[in-house]
Amino acid sequence: MDSRDQLRDRWHALVDQISDQRLTIAGRELRVLGREKTIILAIVIQLFVAAFSGFLVVGLVSLYDPGSVEGYQIDAAVTGEATNEMLAAIEDRPAMEGTRYGTTSDAYADFQDGAVNAVFQTTRTDGRIEVVMTAPDGSIETTLVVSEGQEALRALERNLRADRAGSLSNPPLPLPPDTGGNPYYDFTYTILLPLLVFLPVFISGSITVDSLTAESEQGTLELLRVAPVTMVDIVDGKSAAMVAIAPLQAVAWLGLLSLNGVAVANVAALAALVTAVTAIVVALAVAVSLLAPDRRSAQLLFSVGVLLFFAGATLLPGGPANTAARLAIDSATAMTWLSVGVYGVIGVAAIAAVRRLAERINPNNL
Amino acid sequence: MRRIDRLKNRLTTAGRRLRRIARIARWELGQSTSSYNRRTLAVVAVLVVIVGSVGASAVALGVASPAPNTDIYRIGVADNSPYNAVIEDNAALTARQPDRTALATGEIDLLVGGVRQPVAGPGPRSPTLLVEAADGEKGAAALTAFRSAVQSYNDRAMALEPNQTAAYPVVVELQYLPQSTLGPAAPTDAGDLANTDETTSGSGGDDTGADSNNTNTTEPTANGTDSEPGSDGGSDTTDSNADAPPVGDGGGGSLLDRALFAGGTSGSPAEIQPPFPFGSLLLAFLFLVPMNFVIQSYGSSVLNERISRRGELLLVAPIERLDIVAGKTLPYAAIAVAVTVGIAAAIGGGALSVFAVVPIALTFLAATFLGAMFARSFKELTFVTITITVFLTSYVFIPSIFTNVTPIALISPLTLVVMELQGEAVGLGSYLFSTAPFYLSSGVLFLLGTGVYREEDMFTQKPVPLKFLDALDARLDGVASVGLLTALFLPFVFIAELLAIAVLFVLPIEVSIPLLLVVIAAVEEVAKSIHIFAGFESDRFERSVSTALLLGAASGIGFFIAEKFTAVAQLVGLPDLQLGQAALQPAGIGIAPSTTLLLLAGPLVLHTVTAGVGALGARKSFRWYLLALVAATAIHAAYNLGVVTLYG
Repeated sequence: MDSRDQLRDRWHALVDQISDQRLTIAGRELRVLGREKTIILAIVIQLFVAAFSGFLVVGLVSLYDPGSVEGYQIDAAVTGEATNEMLAAIEDRPAMEGTRYGTTSDAYADFQDGAVNAVFQTTRTDGRIEVVMTAPDGSIETTLVVSEGQEALRALERNLRADRAGSLSNPPLPLPPDTGGNPYYDFTYTILLPLLVFLPVFISGSITVDSLTAESEQGTLELLRVAPVTMVDIVDGKSAAMVAIAPLQAVAWLGLLSLNGVAVANVAALAALVTAVTAIVVALAVAVSLLAPDRRSAQLLFSVGVLLFFAGATLLPGGPANTAARLAIDSATAMTWLSVGVYGVIGVAAIAAVRRLAERINPNNL
Repeated sequence: MRRIDRLKNRLTTAGRRLRRIARIARWELGQSTSSYNRRTLAVVAVLVVIVGSVGASAVALGVASPAPNTDIYRIGVADNSPYNAVIEDNAALTARQPDRTALATGEIDLLVGGVRQPVAGPGPRSPTLLVEAADGEKGAAALTAFRSAVQSYNDRAMALEPNQTAAYPVVVELQYLPQSTLGPAAPTDAGDLANTDETTSGSGGDDTGADSNNTNTTEPTANGTDSEPGSDGGSDTTDSNADAPPVGDGGGGSLLDRALFAGGTSGSPAEIQPPFPFGSLLLAFLFLVPMNFVIQSYGSSVLNERISRRGELLLVAPIERLDIVAGKTLPYAAIAVAVTVGIAAAIGGGALSVFAVVPIALTFLAATFLGAMFARSFKELTFVTITITVFLTSYVFIPSIFTNVTPIALISPLTLVVMELQGEAVGLGSYLFSTAPFYLSSGVLFLLGTGVYREEDMFTQKPVPLKFLDALDARLDGVASVGLLTALFLPFVFIAELLAIAVLFVLPIEVSIPLLLVVIAAVEEVAKSIHIFAGFESDRFERSVSTALLLGAASGIGFFIAEKFTAVAQLVGLPDLQLGQAALQPAGIGIAPSTTLLLLAGPLVLHTVTAGVGALGARKSFRWYLLALVAATAIHAAYNLGVVTLYG
């Protein structure tokens, strides 16, 4: 029995140690967010962007990558003096089929009837081949036809350059074959994913500014005089809550992306990166709200500061966007891991710095 | 004489009101500029200078890597391979040791092998580089990116060749002709091409510049592209290409490489571009960035007035509410317009760009105003502002990507900007189609917000949904007003339906059309009954069956009349699209006049019946209202499906 009481005492001591005011403040912050239902708004934003980005990615790929449109075949009419060369070049393109036409008017007649999707009319002048390429005007196929036609023309150009390699001081490097990989594959990882992952970071910082400046503007910080909490406790509690929700949102995003069929690597490292960057941004938010005279100035300084932080960090090697992209696409190097570590160190240092700032600030002067 | 007096009277009243609005606007301006005091602005300036100098030094030291796709594809290549120069030039690629096991374990994405010379018979006529890509999408994407990097590397090397005829053996002119119409005979004179062939436009993606080639002097034998200034031959145009300022390391991503700056229609094959308006799109996006700062400031000002109760002073002054709101909004609208004009002047947009962006700015402001009237705290306002930003930005920006592809793009006014920047003509119909919903909805949002610009709503803490019902109720006054409010909702219905088309666009047509019909029915039913519910909840209307049916009929008639205005969609050819048909046909649009009277009267009967069902539910309680909505949506969707299958 004695041991049990002892255990209970120790348990209570432990609970007392853990449940300090800072946790209470953090919990209250999160409850307020939940009560205001603003978190629901955030989720709605996420779903909306996800739906629209799906539209964007799928749309881009199906419109600009002929390989993804199954069984799509472009029929091209070829006429004129260099028909043989042009047909040989078209042979390289699996999505395009060339047909020899004896006369130009036949070719255009078939084009206007829609029997062929493109016309290549060739002439030889001064040792060059001139091609007039005709594509349908203003239809969904236009982009496809032009980009495939361009590839065929580049094949023609390559073939001719190879023939004339003797006249070139630096013959062009041979190309690898075109296997129809997705040219927009990196878009999801380098633009969309960093955007989605760092949006919660910005939201967290913005709420921190609102939450702290609201206290000072409503004069509730004066109650500190009688309450057993210090300014540092308040800063700790509020920033802890905000630093905690950003990686949760980011991981939810990554889950959503995975459901959409986008494989995301190094999720744990990405969460660590987001946490570190959130710590930096929240520290900035705290510093700005403690130092700026009022809420509007604080929000302005914070917005400008965050923009500049991301712009500046992007210019340096291992910027947050690139680091996130390389982690997610699974091309991380030692440098990438080092960047994550550096962000972590800066985050801890920034939090420590604003805590010292909070110690020196007199809440009654805010 | 009397008429003149009355006119005079009216003019003086209008003049007085305008003076009042101007006074409030001045006050607002003075208040907001004083709150950004000198110290704040000085700190902002210092921050900009610090980051600017760090960035500049990073660029100067050559360690800057602004491209977000830096080093995402790892290419295994031998140290002495000429392809090292290609990889070094392209930001997205990075060189690794050529190791086959690394390919299998996923440490590299692509392995560069030897060169196969062309053989007789089928197959390519020029040498091919043999490569092995890692399994999966990433390997294939790496190969595509590598291929396009080699291609642009070659393009840059060719620009420096002394023998331009051998370097550019093909000259292309691209023309667009409509199909399946009996147009004039196609132009066939390729003879004048010789004069235009070298007017190179220096397409953006290839501009990474001859400079970067010079950095490869450590390997002079491998590729030998080190340029001599004198080797440009006689052609002036290639000179301008080689001298073009390098875009930095970031130009070489596969996305940018293929897509930056559309519009090349003649030149070498590398210079013609598929009509993807990437450059214009980036410029159009610039218009949206400053809006966020404007609405942040505007929202704070409105909410601050409510929280500090300073708005009370204005309310007791002998000024109309509309004038107060107009005066408070005017400075921000003026700033937004001024910034828009400035950006338009800077990027070469004309009056059309300004007139297309102004309705977007108004909608930003109107939505922020209503949000600030509803929000209970600055924290809530932050979320509201971010929601508005994200929603409006994606709504206007993403469709404009498809400017040249599908008429759906015109749901966004930004598409007009892209079209203008590309030098395309824009008809009045297109302008109306894309901007009218924005003008109208910003007007309605301001109207709703002004309705709750009163003491009992401004200075009390109610949850947002209740405030919303209050705002609707404030606009109700008798049966006719119900129909009017329904009609006013139409722009939102229109926007929601267009949004549904855009989102469902990617699904296969068998799934998207039924889904779209249900979504549209639900949107329209909510629009027809939500204010009736608000009226019942505030006890404005008697909760009797006859009142409910009367209100439902009024709402249905209002919707029926307003719906006719969606005919504007016909002006841009949206009904030609299968999804567009599904959305618009049940409203009787795009149906030949020979159809029977029954079908023209159909929508009227439908709208009054379903609105009646909704109103009957709204009479009782929220739960009953939801149930009635489901029922009305089901009836409506069934009707829509019937019409589409009958005439589809």
